[in-house]
Amino acid sequence: MALFIAKRLLMALATVLVVAVLAFLLVHAMPGSPGAVSLGAGASQEAIDEVNQRLGWSDSLPVQFFRWLGAAVQGDFGISLIDGRSVSADLAGRLPVTASLAAGATVLSAVLGIALGVTAAVRGGVVDRIIGGVAGMAVALPAFWIGIIFVYLLAVQSPIFPATGYVPFEVSPRDWALSLALPVITLAVGGAAFIARQTRASMLEALQQEHIRTLRATATPTWKILYVHALRYASLPIVAGIALQFIQLFGGSVIAEQLFAMPGLGQAVQNSVSTHDAPSVQGVVVIATVVVVAVNLVLELATKFLDPKLRAS
Amino acid sequence: MIPNVAPAPADSPDPTSAALLPPAPARAGRRFSVAKLFTSPASTAGVIWLAAIVLASLTAPLWLPFKTEDQDFTAVLSGPSAAHWLGTDELGRDLLSRIFASAAGTLGTSMITVIVAVGLGTLLAMLAAAAGERVEAGISRVTEIMMSLPGTVIILAVIGAVGTNIPLVMAILGVLISAGIYRVMLGQAKSLQSQLYVDAAKVDGVSAVGISLRHVLPGLTNTIVVQAALIFAVGMLIQAGLAFIGFGPPIPEPSWGGMIQGASQHVYDAPWLMVPTGAVLALTVLAANAIGNALGKAPNATASHLPSAAARRQRAKAVAAIAAAAPTASSGEDEAGSKDTLSVRNLSVGVDSAGTGADTGNGVRLVTDVSFDVEPGTVLGLVGESGCGKTMTALSLLGLLPSGVSVTGGQILWNGRNLAAATDKDMEGIRGREIALISQEPMRALDPMFTVGYQLTAAIRRLRRTGRAETKAEALNLLEKVGIVDAARILTVYPHQISGGMAQRVAIALALSGRPRLLVADEPTTALDVTVQAEILSLLRSLAKETGMSVVMVTHDLGVVADLCDRVAVMYAGQIVENGRTDSILDNPRHPYTLALLAADPHATSAADMPERLATISGQVPQPKDWPTTCRFAARCQFAGSACMVPVPLVPSGTGEGLVRCVKADELAVEGLDWVATDVPTHRILDLVETRPAEARTTEIRTAHVEARPAERTAEKDPA
Ligand code: SF4
Repeated sequence: MALFIAKRLLMALATVLVVAVLAFLLVHAMPGSPGAVSLGAGASQEAIDEVNQRLGWSDSLPVQFFRWLGAAVQGDFGISLIDGRSVSADLAGRLPVTASLAAGATVLSAVLGIALGVTAAVRGGVVDRIIGGVAGMAVALPAFWIGIIFVYLLAVQSPIFPATGYVPFEVSPRDWALSLALPVITLAVGGAAFIARQTRASMLEALQQEHIRTLRATATPTWKILYVHALRYASLPIVAGIALQFIQLFGGSVIAEQLFAMPGLGQAVQNSVSTHDAPSVQGVVVIATVVVVAVNLVLELATKFLDPKLRAS
Repeated sequence: MIPNVAPAPADSPDPTSAALLPPAPARAGRRFSVAKLFTSPASTAGVIWLAAIVLASLTAPLWLPFKTEDQDFTAVLSGPSAAHWLGTDELGRDLLSRIFASAAGTLGTSMITVIVAVGLGTLLAMLAAAAGERVEAGISRVTEIMMSLPGTVIILAVIGAVGTNIPLVMAILGVLISAGIYRVMLGQAKSLQSQLYVDAAKVDGVSAVGISLRHVLPGLTNTIVVQAALIFAVGMLIQAGLAFIGFGPPIPEPSWGGMIQGASQHVYDAPWLMVPTGAVLALTVLAANAIGNALGKAPNATASHLPSAAARRQRAKAVAAIAAAAPTASSGEDEAGSKDTLSVRNLSVGVDSAGTGADTGNGVRLVTDVSFDVEPGTVLGLVGESGCGKTMTALSLLGLLPSGVSVTGGQILWNGRNLAAATDKDMEGIRGREIALISQEPMRALDPMFTVGYQLTAAIRRLRRTGRAETKAEALNLLEKVGIVDAARILTVYPHQISGGMAQRVAIALALSGRPRLLVADEPTTALDVTVQAEILSLLRSLAKETGMSVVMVTHDLGVVADLCDRVAVMYAGQIVENGRTDSILDNPRHPYTLALLAADPHATSAADMPERLATISGQVPQPKDWPTTCRFAARCQFAGSACMVPVPLVPSGTGEGLVRCVKADELAVEGLDWVATDVPTHRILDLVETRPAEARTTEIRTAHVEARPAERTAEKDPA
């Protein structure tokens, strides 16, 4: 187990490093030098050169990369070319927004998805077909479309939730929850559908296992077979599915944040990409990767822990 | 936003009844066929929709009522009208025109993602399968990393670098997605690569590339089409999403995502605007998904061991019908009223006709008209090849037929009750307490997620209502009783930590936990090592003697029968063909099938691991749907003649209380004919035929048989 964890940690580190290199190269392929981006149109060539000089733009790529990496491991992602603020500080302020969004959506997806998936598998027949049909629809509808419909129904028609904006938890927990509600639900529709399908498939597979027959042959009550034995067997692929879903929901936050005007990482990516703000793009890509990889690592360890075969070895 | 393509979470296999029928010769891999596109209504609709939208978008310039930029200021933000069928946007532009004018671009660029993702994924999978473990490990590692990346963020960074060059962005997206495709394809590519004919091709000197293209790729085509359809949907959604957040085609050019973005600005004053574009996008995605799901459906799903609530309701209805049809239990009591006697009367088991619409197996009978008795404390053997209905017969005794299969007629009388007509609730009181089960594969019979101790104590507590300490003691006691020495340790381990023989002992202990009066053992030794088989058999023999319980032993091994059984019922193709006391049947078999079984296993050794298909009987048990109304063994019988072409009843065989189902049983007994082992030269078979001039007519048939035989035999011998 320790060896396994060590291996996974190394993999995670390698992943982040690969992404760091990738982000660095992509940023350098962006049109416009940092000076030009930072000073905007109409700046003199000398001024631009001067800024580029100061940022070490003319150094060789490896030199620049390791300089950036050295700073990054200490949590310093440089200065935004657009507003001159510290990228790290900016991202630190944005991370909680996206984290609450992604975590909320993942939890909601998991709860709803598992409930629906188990119901579909256990009830069968018409119920199964209805849940399957709804899940199929939910997967086919783009999140942004669903989000707008929710805004229309739950913020415009009957103003239950605020349509846009984000209230930090420290300001008001109640408003924080309300401001998260619509974006979280929007993201969770697709997520729940995915997890429901995964759960249904895993439950059915569990029920096809021969040990289910042994349990029935020893008069185990049906509820116990379903919710203790089959669900336990299905838990491995379900948790793996949730891990996959988290990556998607984290990515989906770009759309949710745009739609609901939330100051999160997704918004930062979108802004910095449109404005060619190199340090911000680099920073946000790396931070997003670290978060996704870390959450995946935890969930993967959880699946391994759920599996007696791997736990014992 | 970028869905990772997880291995098959989409539509899980329905537990169809097809799985219960003996599988048709399986090919690894599945080839794509156009006909499969039209197997489900959803996928047919999907194909039609996609075809329509592609056609409409390609011909758009010819029929569209407006240009995409035409502005109609008399109808800004209007709903559907005669002039504007789908309404107009904030600049009075015709929605229908804009949707279809941009369709070709959306669909086309999504295809780029499909081609890159599926192409690269398939290529990597074939490479990994062909190039061996080292390469596979390397590729797998890389794809694992790719799958754990926040794809959306990376795609956006790419857009930062290359701009909104949609085709290029979609291609890079394809690269990211290819990791998931690789995961899906790898297993299949590997199994195709390990096929016998691939080995043969290698020996013939076909190059690795040749093998991949000629033998592996065709088998992957179905999966390729499935994945292509699913990725097509994903590509469209992502592209629309990108356009929605402002990374679509340059501004005046319409795009689906951009149009929804525009509509979202007017959700307050013109909510209708959301509908047309959203609906077209959603329908196109649905269409692609429907196609993917229809093609991706697993063809041979195994049946559930715990039917869904809906299936249970259906079965309860069927049971009620049987209860109504059968004579009341009390009349059965007179017939077989003695305690702990099992009397099976005219039992029929069939695949439910109201299945899930699978093309196979509707209403197919798996067991027909089976009757036998098991006296208290005796052992009955149910013998026959695979696919003869032995296991289905055995499982029906516990009411544990897999979903999709049920008792269709007859009675199972046990202690004055008709179990064939018992509700599941009633059966729950009988299972484990009165009738217990041991199955073929002990490793799979135990729940891998729980310790042996948990499973055993839970059963004991449930079936004996004992207290905690007492339960523990009883568990140890039971494990010792089945010959486990370090019982205390075994209680703490998981099933995967013990050997197959040990697991079977645990399974037996589990079966004994409710002190059953009847034990149903379904091939309890088949999956075990030869040495262990003998141990388990002798354990079963002594347990039966000790506890006085009766046993129904399902086996294809006459050695087991000779060893253990008091009586034996030989089953062929869902029927009992011979039935009687073990000694009289083994010494004096009447039915040609029994003769053949004995010929295949002349010494009736207990350890003989008889092949599924007996070498001395050419051909195999016909599929249940092909069972003839005449003698079902006729196609394979060496003594078949025109007299056999009628339904054959089970009649007293003349030896003791034995029964036999063969029109020639007496004749064969008189002439003392034996089943001819397959190595016998063909002329002897012809001699046999010639001794019976009355049947000259059948000579032709038989010669045909004989001619067919050598080829079959070589085919059988090849693998060996
Ligand atoms: S009835 Fe005819 S075909 Fe059938 S087993 Fe007897 S001899 Fe063979």
